[in-house]
Amino acid sequence: MKKILQLALGIVTSVGGFLEIGSVTTAAQAGASFGYKLLWAILLGTICLIFLVEMSGRLSAVSKHTIVDATRERFGFPFFSIVMLAMVIVAFLVLVAELGGIGLSLQILTGIGFPWWALPVSLGVWLLMWKGTFSLIENGASLLGLVTISFVVAAVKLHPDWGSTAHGLLPTMPGDQKAKYGFIAVSILGASISPYLMYFYSSGAIEDKWDESYIPMNRIIAGLGMTFGGFLSMAVLIAAALAFQPRGIDIEKFEQAALLMTTALPKWGFFLFAFSMLFACLGAALEISLAIAYFFAQGFGWSWSEDLTPSRDSRFSFVYTLIILLAAIPLLFGVDPIKVTMMSMALTAATLPLAIVPFLFLMNDPIYLGKHRNGWISNTVVTVVIVISFVLAVISIPLQIIGG
Amino acid sequence: MKLVRDVLDKKLTDREDCAMGRVSGLVLHVGEKTQPRITHILIGGPTLWMRVHPSLAALATRLARVWGPKRTGPVRIPWSRVDTVGKNVKLDVIARETGALDWELWIAEHIIERIPGGGKEEEE
Repeated sequence: MKKILQLALGIVTSVGGFLEIGSVTTAAQAGASFGYKLLWAILLGTICLIFLVEMSGRLSAVSKHTIVDATRERFGFPFFSIVMLAMVIVAFLVLVAELGGIGLSLQILTGIGFPWWALPVSLGVWLLMWKGTFSLIENGASLLGLVTISFVVAAVKLHPDWGSTAHGLLPTMPGDQKAKYGFIAVSILGASISPYLMYFYSSGAIEDKWDESYIPMNRIIAGLGMTFGGFLSMAVLIAAALAFQPRGIDIEKFEQAALLMTTALPKWGFFLFAFSMLFACLGAALEISLAIAYFFAQGFGWSWSEDLTPSRDSRFSFVYTLIILLAAIPLLFGVDPIKVTMMSMALTAATLPLAIVPFLFLMNDPIYLGKHRNGWISNTVVTVVIVISFVLAVISIPLQIIGG
Repeated sequence: MKLVRDVLDKKLTDREDCAMGRVSGLVLHVGEKTQPRITHILIGGPTLWMRVHPSLAALATRLARVWGPKRTGPVRIPWSRVDTVGKNVKLDVIARETGALDWELWIAEHIIERIPGGGKEEEE
């Protein structure tokens, strides 16, 4: 009975915690600029994420190691330090974007500009980390994030042509704006396949004391939770395609994105959008802050647990305190969170091989996984998606930068 | 036992299972007529950064001189104190008496405990 409850909670929180500023912004940009044509990128990213999340949980449940523990031990400190540098820089940029997303949500609700919200928002996120427990962060924010299901309501109410949406699931090349198309596709893949989510999930499995008996549950949570989450991203894209493309609007400002909800739900849409973004970004900001602190603590072998009093894992607590404070600085100076989001999502895709290739080695290592190591299907799916993401990133990021 | 695979970079715990860092380096004694043997485990400090680049080790030493608990060298634990080598390397020591937790305690005392709600390190 306890496991059934855990399973239900796991799926629900995976859905509630799926969307964040990256997935919403990239999906909305895709829908507004290219209609349904980029739905395939969300599908591809979600399939890859299902496999990666399942692997992350399995590694922890079987080996009792987190991904970071195993990476440091298996590949040694010199290689680990390169992975750490890349992952922490990218995760930091995503944290700036998420804190900015909370600020932008508050800006559209109150009319007070997001730079003014930078410090209060950071303080609020830090306070939740400081006083909260792991289950509060894992479950509380994600349950609030269930309000993002309203994106599905918006998409359905706009009566999409389901035949055309199905066509979008197959990759096609656009007639023009190829660089922009590639860049948005890369950003979608980066937003879907977030390494921080894997670090968070594998650490969570250790915090929740998973063992091998959790393998079937892990598989269902990863499969169903991420699939439903992927539907939410697709709903954002579909709603954006219908709300923006008929008007030929390109999303440049956060406020414009609210249109994808208000077109379908004129009465409640604005508030549903603002609160969806607020809770989605809050959940993600908490998870990323924790993931960065986990990375340092596990990499260097410090004590760590979100459930301990801060002084009992002082280095772990110090890392998230410092990171959250630093992430507020660019926002204080008015750096545009949407631009940070798009760039950090593309960078995530570009650095994916660094996170995923060593992870795949670990998942095939009998020392860690024994009989539970990867089969050829998971290896192939993940490798193919990572290669596609990396190639697209290498081609489209320079083109996007040159083209502005 | 393979030293690099089974010992280097493994997590260290003391006799009460308290985390005390990772194995940053190993000291080997190579005698002329005897077989090489490990004498010490090294934890933290410049040893770790030396494995990436010597300039990083120099930087770590310089920073440690001006800030923190002022420990510049690595912590050395005699190999004879190794209890078991498995998922972690378990040592027959009390972590806080070895110096491996100097930074943990320094940050707790100078930063974390000064923030309301940070708690006291000694509290159970």
